[in-house]
Amino acid sequence: MVENMAMIETIQFFVTCLVDTLYPQVGEAAVRVLRRVGARVEFPAGQTCCGQPAFNAGMRPQARQMAEHTIRVLESAPGVVVLPSGSCAAMIRHGYPEIFAGDSRWSLRAETLAKRTYELTEFLVDILGVTDVQARFAGQLAYHASCHLSRDLGVILQPGLLLRNVKEADIVELPHSDECCGFGGLFSFEYPEISHAMLDRKIHNIRSSSASVVVACDAGCITHINGGLHRRGLSPCVRHIAEVLEKT
Amino acid sequence: MRQAYCRSAGEDIRCDAGNLKSGGYWIRIQIPAPFNLMPDYFDTQIRAALANTGLQEALDANAERRIEARLQANAALPNHQVLRRRAHSVRASTLAKLDEYLEQFITKAQLNGLIVHRAADAAQATQIVIEIARENNAHLVAKSKSMISEEIGLNHALEAVGLRVVETDLGEYIIQLRGERPAHILTPAVHLSRVDVGQTFHESLGLPFSDDVPTLVAAARQALRMVFLEAEIGITGVNFGVAESGTLCLVTNEGNGRMVTTLPPVHIALMGIERLVPTLDNLALLLTLLPRAATGQKITVYTNLINSPRRPGDPDGPRQRHLILVDNGREALRQSPLAQALLCIRCGACLNACPVFREIGGHAYVGLRGEISTYPGPIGAIISPGLFGQSEFGHLARASSLCGACKEACPVDIDLPKLLLRVRAGGIKIDPGRAKQTLPGLVAIGIRAFTWFSIDVRRFRLAQRMLGFFSRILAPRSLWMHLPVFTGWGYSKDFPRPDLRSFRRRWMSRQSAISVIRESRDSLDQLSETSGDESSDYQSLATRFAIELMALGGEFTLCSRSDLAQYILKILHNHNIGSLLSWETDQLPNSLLEAIQTAGIQVSHDLDPSIRAGLTGTLAAVADTGTLVMTGGPGRALFSSLLPEVHIAILRTSDIRESLPQVLGMREIQSAASVVLISGPSRTADIEMTLTIGVHGPRELYVLCLDE
Repeated sequence: MVENMAMIETIQFFVTCLVDTLYPQVGEAAVRVLRRVGARVEFPAGQTCCGQPAFNAGMRPQARQMAEHTIRVLESAPGVVVLPSGSCAAMIRHGYPEIFAGDSRWSLRAETLAKRTYELTEFLVDILGVTDVQARFAGQLAYHASCHLSRDLGVILQPGLLLRNVKEADIVELPHSDECCGFGGLFSFEYPEISHAMLDRKIHNIRSSSASVVVACDAGCITHINGGLHRRGLSPCVRHIAEVLEKT
Repeated sequence: MRQAYCRSAGEDIRCDAGNLKSGGYWIRIQIPAPFNLMPDYFDTQIRAALANTGLQEALDANAERRIEARLQANAALPNHQVLRRRAHSVRASTLAKLDEYLEQFITKAQLNGLIVHRAADAAQATQIVIEIARENNAHLVAKSKSMISEEIGLNHALEAVGLRVVETDLGEYIIQLRGERPAHILTPAVHLSRVDVGQTFHESLGLPFSDDVPTLVAAARQALRMVFLEAEIGITGVNFGVAESGTLCLVTNEGNGRMVTTLPPVHIALMGIERLVPTLDNLALLLTLLPRAATGQKITVYTNLINSPRRPGDPDGPRQRHLILVDNGREALRQSPLAQALLCIRCGACLNACPVFREIGGHAYVGLRGEISTYPGPIGAIISPGLFGQSEFGHLARASSLCGACKEACPVDIDLPKLLLRVRAGGIKIDPGRAKQTLPGLVAIGIRAFTWFSIDVRRFRLAQRMLGFFSRILAPRSLWMHLPVFTGWGYSKDFPRPDLRSFRRRWMSRQSAISVIRESRDSLDQLSETSGDESSDYQSLATRFAIELMALGGEFTLCSRSDLAQYILKILHNHNIGSLLSWETDQLPNSLLEAIQTAGIQVSHDLDPSIRAGLTGTLAAVADTGTLVMTGGPGRALFSSLLPEVHIAILRTSDIRESLPQVLGMREIQSAASVVLISGPSRTADIEMTLTIGVHGPRELYVLCLDE
């Protein structure tokens, strides 16, 4: 199947609070995909939330508490850290160094964690060099580029490379696929009308595509778009990329 | 304030009814003050903008045209990303040594014959202009578009001392006639249609109404031509000052900038102290990027490089050129965590790219007391609080999904999302006390609670269980929760019901299952001699069955009888399936089908190949091989586990046997007309030895195991 795995023996799987609570099957799917490509997956039991909600709210002391907790939990575990979420990976990679800037002791710990943290598709493609995970998924798949994944982490092509190698999948275009769905974490609670208008645009684009399934790499977008589709009486068709890649 | 808000909030806000299931529009309930998540005026402006269809069309057109133009123009630059990073470092290094460059710039400009003034704030800047006007006995001032003059409220100040001020940029002219503020830093009248402009010209200039654009432009041209000729003073901004040469660079498309800097006898240039570049080389770099980002042009129609006033023998040009360098909060901003915002070259690309700006437009960006922010959009949400106060404008930074489209569009690579987050964290001084000023109370409470639960994994697990429990009270029958409107989310979205078994619970139970099986294998010999505890036997059998089934590609879920229907509904829901080919009621757990039907699923017992999911019970299962055993017979159609794509089988832990011989020895097997043993989803390796799932039988197999 996939060779050259000696380098990456152990993965610390950071499931993220949304996937943990709302989409445990996505976490399981990601673990299956990682195991299929030969990785040994571990789950640091103390993990909770990376702190992104507090960080985005502007509540730095609270964000820092959660970041410290996460760093403590992850830094003692060996190997790389992999998350099935672009925004949480971005939080650890760019948010943590920002939170601890000016605190030399913690910022070293934050930077060290940041450097070994990867989003799932980024890890598969950039670190393992795997673009074919032997998946099979019949249907018209379109890809929604989550904002933090594409613009903060710069992970733009990786999900598409993986999807292109899914057997029986027909990759179709989603117009304006990189436009924000209007989630933005707290933004969607604080400014529901604007968020609603942005989501309408996203849903319009989804409906104008021929996709049967829209694939995303962030539970935030998935929750938001599916929640909007469901309220409108439409089928919640957004799935996490791990759910597609796990199917054989 | 509160009254104004309440009036607006009490009205019915119609939403896009086009594709809504439930009746077309919501009634916006009036939110009690402690739960009001938004500053009043901002909230009101947002709703007004969203409800204004003309504005929405204008903003859509603006975004589509500008984004496309920018992308095309940048694509034509082979090294665009390199250039913008270089531009970033040029701007950053200039700001790092701003004092030195300012000194050099001022010296050169004075040598060139410019009269240089420095203004610490808006009042000083306007006063300097007023004094120059007085000295020159001026009555009429012709202005070219300048954001810094908007920032310092120049027009108002000049009019207050009796001067007539005329904006000569067409867009500025239109909004000046309408008594409005610019809606965009580049295209001030972006919010208006040609009909609006025609109406404005008709009412303000007494012209016959026309919505023909060339006619309107010609009318403005004619009206403004006399202003250029008669004005004693021309006022402009400055796009860039060049330190090494003292040059003022102005870019315009209409040519009004040229008029204003050429025809009136006195020219006053207003410039923010940060708009410097060290060299003409640097200027060339920025001129490559600015128009592409702003309008998608390779270069603007007119690029003016101004060094000095009219020299002896020159046929034209003002006899006096004044340069007013304005601080107005910039030096403080430069020393703050928001300093990077000073790299901005005011191209407006972040406004065009921003999905929030596209929905609400520039006039919605208002301060705490309702005053329109000079600078709207993503950059405005940073420099307005940065220059004019966190408490007045800090809330603007909250109206962002942090999508990063602004950063991507920025020609000088400003990390706008990072700066927006810094504004949220307190702005000029990142301290928690300041953040509170713009943080809605409910959010603060929620985040504090969430933090408390998140810094201890035991509390976190507890919270997950509580969520799972309470969500079932809120939504006992649905996988989606309809949250109340005041939560924000409930305004137009449903929320998925949390899973009762979180990932961590599943992981832990699987880990413990694996350890159980290891232990049980070790102790199997002992157990086989002493008859042992039956329940632990069941558990280890279930574990072994589960592991084998999953290895075959099946899904195994341990659940209680009361959760059974919900699990089935979830599977159906995930596959978008609305009907079920099922065994008959008496062959399945009590009232299960009833619950499924109540949730809106059609249940059929007849052969129907179009139904995509099948539900069956099982007679038994084999732990060693992960095999399900079913007998055909009345009420137990075998096609239910064969025709559909998805097969859901209900199994009781007590029906799991260790090995195949035990199963085949069962009385039911021997008496049944037909028996099927199912081990995982349908598959083949017939073609090129390639494993393929879902050949003729189901592609997916879910076993719901009742632990009883």
